[in-house]
Amino acid sequence: MNRIRQIDRMAQGKVSRRAMLASAGAFGVGVALLPRPLRAQSGAPLTCLTWGGYDIADYIPGYVAKHGTLPNFSVFGGEEEALAKVRAGFEADVMHPCNYSVGRFVNAGLAKPIDTARLTHWADIFPALQTAEGVMMDGNVVMAPADWGNSSIAYRPDLIDPAFIADPTWGIFYDEAYKGRVSMLDNELVIQIGLMVAGKSYDEVYAVTGPELEAAAKEWGTRGVQTSRFLWTDASEVQQAMASGEIVAAYAWNDLVKNLRAEGVPVAYAVPKEGMFTWFCGLTLLNSGRADEALAYDFIDAWLSPETGKLLIEESGYGHANMKSFEVADASEVAAMGLDDPVKMMADAILFRNPPDAVQNDHNRVWGDVKALAQ
Amino acid sequence: MASAGRSARTGAALLAPAFLVMAATLAAPLAALILLSFWTQDGFTIDRSLTLANYARVLTLSDEPTVWNGIPFPFAYPVPAILLVKSLTMSLVATAAVILIAWPMAYFLAFRVTRHKAVWIILLTIPFWTSYLLRVFAWKIVLGYNGAVNSGLMSLGIIREPLEFLLYNPVAVTITLAHSWIAFAVLPIYVSLDKIDRSLLEAASDLGDSRWARFRRITLPLSMPGTISATLLVFIPTVGDYVTPTLVGGPTGTMIGNLVQQLFTRQDNAPLGAAISILTMLVIAVLVLLFLRLVGWRHMRGRG
Repeated sequence: MNRIRQIDRMAQGKVSRRAMLASAGAFGVGVALLPRPLRAQSGAPLTCLTWGGYDIADYIPGYVAKHGTLPNFSVFGGEEEALAKVRAGFEADVMHPCNYSVGRFVNAGLAKPIDTARLTHWADIFPALQTAEGVMMDGNVVMAPADWGNSSIAYRPDLIDPAFIADPTWGIFYDEAYKGRVSMLDNELVIQIGLMVAGKSYDEVYAVTGPELEAAAKEWGTRGVQTSRFLWTDASEVQQAMASGEIVAAYAWNDLVKNLRAEGVPVAYAVPKEGMFTWFCGLTLLNSGRADEALAYDFIDAWLSPETGKLLIEESGYGHANMKSFEVADASEVAAMGLDDPVKMMADAILFRNPPDAVQNDHNRVWGDVKALAQ
Repeated sequence: MASAGRSARTGAALLAPAFLVMAATLAAPLAALILLSFWTQDGFTIDRSLTLANYARVLTLSDEPTVWNGIPFPFAYPVPAILLVKSLTMSLVATAAVILIAWPMAYFLAFRVTRHKAVWIILLTIPFWTSYLLRVFAWKIVLGYNGAVNSGLMSLGIIREPLEFLLYNPVAVTITLAHSWIAFAVLPIYVSLDKIDRSLLEAASDLGDSRWARFRRITLPLSMPGTISATLLVFIPTVGDYVTPTLVGGPTGTMIGNLVQQLFTRQDNAPLGAAISILTMLVIAVLVLLFLRLVGWRHMRGRG
């Protein structure tokens, strides 16, 4: 009855603004009509784009202690996706790229040079990392190196064919015999590593283009996609599949091995005959954010602290860019990890490289097409 | 009729906010998408000169057809066409499954439930109180390697090794899509069944119709408006879904939505992604119109 009366009064133009708002409020639409004082925007929170798993307080104790709060985290599964997000207007202040992907952000005009004088831990960073390709570009520091490690094959020694243990090879990801029993990263590397299995070196294939790329995608890309049970983007997914025995081998970073061992799952980390990969990642200032730059520097500095390094070494089995981290970390963990010298690591393993933008775009394109046509 | 003019004005004034909201949230993004599909992108730069290049790329024919699952696709760039056919097939199967499952549920609700109808309807919607994403994840747990189905069958001794074909393939995507949309199908079918005048059924049985004849001549035709709505309500959104194939599809369960997502997020070619979206929408629109012609528009008006 009340409702009909209200409608009648509206139709006669007799309803007061107050009554109208009161009834609108009952439906939750009143707020939009009320003038609200705009909050000052000076205190915009810090927004960080980072890898899944790094979005926790443990890696930035210094930042949390100083500001009493976490920054806003936005998690990505691969750098190209994060790049597209920022280019589409996502206002991030800090990004966590790697040596082979930071150039993409620089070339897209999104990165800001880092003033290393504002980082208290800069002096303790491995000198080799301070000047490495991917940290310095055109005379500017565009990435503060933070974490480093490997990409190789993690496998279940109790479930895998002993022939693989005797002679580990990336070929397992293209081998019909392992169809549905392995998992590769969802990345155009599948095509590049396929060419390495065919006998080429990484330096020959990371920037392969034209008909050779198309042919490699058709042959190796297709085989790689069809052999994988799933192409992983989320580290926890591949970890669960490996723990349950659903897959017996996977492209993996050090932390997967570390985590599974902690769970008591038998797991080994292979040194494939074509080579294992190494990478180092870090933090880049983006010009797309709205937070105070001082917050971003505090965040980066917190990441570079030895406490963070200790956690990274002990919990994830990664290396850290700060030399002092290795002094405070558990000595047995450092020894078990075998990652205490980035220079040696980069000499012994294959360092991922960043091809020119046009080539990267080509690789992204053919990889997308290969995935789409898998059957 | 001054008052009529004024009430029309008042009506228009009352409708204006809703219209503006619709325009801002529905029409404007669609217009932006259409505009984007006529631009081109090379690497990081978008060229805003209008061109049909993206449409040409998708529709250009080739003398050497790409054979996919035994079907020849005569396109120079066959990926969108192949994925569209695959997506439409998966959606049609999912839609058919949804209608076949939802119809008896709706019938039960309309004709067999006499007390506490509201409770039954709430029970039906309970799974939908949680996020769509969580329901897809739940299916991953049900169908997974050591998931509910596999551990159940193994503990009963029916299988020794977990079944791997349950997850990461087009079948898993179709099952998940079907489950996700069932409630949306039950409700419209239930409403049209509930509206059926029971005296028609009584008259038919008084005149000696069998149960099957009553169903065929009264219940089924009168339920058509709801059934058709339910079909469209399930079919249209499932064609473009990309979350479900991402999570449960594995390497082979890809759908057209995944290609568009890839073009926008990883291949630096949003304009091509936009063009493929528009073409997909057109194809769906044509199929829907054909479907409505086939089953007849008259059903949409119910009795009359």
